[in-house]
Amino acid sequence: MTIVEVALRVFIVDDEPPARNRLRDLLGDCDSQLPLEIIGEAGNGQEALDMLMATPADVVLLDIRMPQMDGIELAQHLQKLPKPPRVLFTTAYDAYAINAFELHAIDYLLKPIRLGRLFDALIRARGAVPVQTEVLRDLLPDPRKHLSIHERGKIYLIPIEKVLYLRAELKYITVQTVEREYLIEESLAALEKEFATRFLRIHRNCLVAKQEIEGFEKSGEEGESSWMVKLKGLEELLPISRRQQHLVKKLVI
Amino acid sequence: MHKARSINQNTWLDVLPNFRNLGVLVRILLISNSLALLEAILRAGSWADVPLRMIQIATLFIPILLTSLLVLWVLQPWLNSLRYWHGALVVNVMVILLTLSIYSLGGELFSPLGGDGRYFDVARYMLLGVITCGILLMYFRLRSKVLSRALHDARLQVLRARIRPHFLFNCINTVLGVVRAQPKQAETALEDMADLFRAAMADTDVQHLALLSHEIQLTKQYLALEQLRMGERLQVKWQIQDVPDDALIPPLLLQPLLENAVYHGIEPLSKGGCINTILRRDGNELILVVENPCLSRNTEQYSGNQMALQNIRERLDLLFDVEARYRVEIGNGFYRAEIALPYMKGARRDYS
Repeated sequence: MTIVEVALRVFIVDDEPPARNRLRDLLGDCDSQLPLEIIGEAGNGQEALDMLMATPADVVLLDIRMPQMDGIELAQHLQKLPKPPRVLFTTAYDAYAINAFELHAIDYLLKPIRLGRLFDALIRARGAVPVQTEVLRDLLPDPRKHLSIHERGKIYLIPIEKVLYLRAELKYITVQTVEREYLIEESLAALEKEFATRFLRIHRNCLVAKQEIEGFEKSGEEGESSWMVKLKGLEELLPISRRQQHLVKKLVI
Repeated sequence: MHKARSINQNTWLDVLPNFRNLGVLVRILLISNSLALLEAILRAGSWADVPLRMIQIATLFIPILLTSLLVLWVLQPWLNSLRYWHGALVVNVMVILLTLSIYSLGGELFSPLGGDGRYFDVARYMLLGVITCGILLMYFRLRSKVLSRALHDARLQVLRARIRPHFLFNCINTVLGVVRAQPKQAETALEDMADLFRAAMADTDVQHLALLSHEIQLTKQYLALEQLRMGERLQVKWQIQDVPDDALIPPLLLQPLLENAVYHGIEPLSKGGCINTILRRDGNELILVVENPCLSRNTEQYSGNQMALQNIRERLDLLFDVEARYRVEIGNGFYRAEIALPYMKGARRDYS
């Protein structure tokens, strides 16, 4: 085992202050054998993302059960950082997640965390590659609560409730909210599958939020006429393709 | 009674019903009147004849029923100190004596037959009285048995819930998190934890009642543990109005309500929130209200806590019947549980 001179940059994410204390104490104990530096800590996902964009970390210790955004979702958003950190999940008791980690050979730490376990995991993490986003997505039983938008070197989180529609353009997908639009690099088919309960496909290239549908309008010439969807708070009308009209009819009735 | 129970190790209550409880009185009235109606139908020659027969029966039956209830009300504390079978015997003898005396007092009104027919008549009424009485006692015994078994199961569930992994691990992790920086707080947390587990595992009689002040103390210890873990996210406001120090409530009734509010209400909120706990006395009732903010889409609180909710309901049913109420109100972004139960006082006593 070679000792690397450069200190390992570690970041802590946990919503409970005593849990962060505990990790700080333990990391302090590791310090004599493994040079490391605690570059920061956060109590929730958004805070963590903001801080990690400013100061990148090598390893993020990440609690699974947190309000608003759980650790597995945050890990997915962290993969969009220019240099994604290695993630070490921590959990007190979460049978579902533990099974999934075992299945995908992802490292995790059980709380209460033992010094030896933490030390070994940090050593392993130093050489490991970040976990793939696709694997993380498989771990999550529920759809994400946010979409992460990469824009001018920053990452913005858009709550999924705010999204009115998703439309595939040439290379990107347009994410439309009442305020503005964003671009993401994901596949529309995967998004449709993940958010099946929330969005409805009205066209080959377009998913609309079911809850945001205000009404339907008919437009065009006689015979050639087609239906359009009107969404709440949006001027633009979205065309419904012929193939999807039967689905829409079901909704109207 | 206490001795008898500890010898035969019955988990259900081998006691007479509480004749001062409104629910018990209502049940007696309903069942005995139904039996009287049945008798009227049996005696009647046609449907039109039924009301007339019913009136005939009622002239004797209603006075006996009401005087019986009055006597039972008066004798209740004494009856309760007897063994079950002695008590049941006393109740039956009382019914026979009342039937006999009311029948004699009524004279001509109840005995148009005169002569030998009179003896048959009074014997028949005494028999009917004893049968009605027996059916009622059997009903109450069965009901108590069914509810007590449910209660026994519920208590096991509470126990399991209290030592459920989340709670235990949360406590241990919290203590580990503060033990180096604040050893004093870690000590207090361990002491609180010990008290909570002791209370949860106490094998008390189902009829045992605890001092409200003690239950409040225990609940506050629980909240201190959660506050240590969650920091400023958890706020609790207590409003205790006009509640006497000697008020009694069933043990572990208040704490699960608060635990539910913390676990399903406050924890999923990233900014946290404030739980409102209101305890007040309203005439002869004690009102407990626990109100917490919750995510509007969080349906978990309504389905996840069914067990705790069901357990509380069953215990209230067994102990107080219709004299206790348990209501849950779910609004936009808030959850409110309200329990009303009879105000009882004493240093320590059994409710029966």
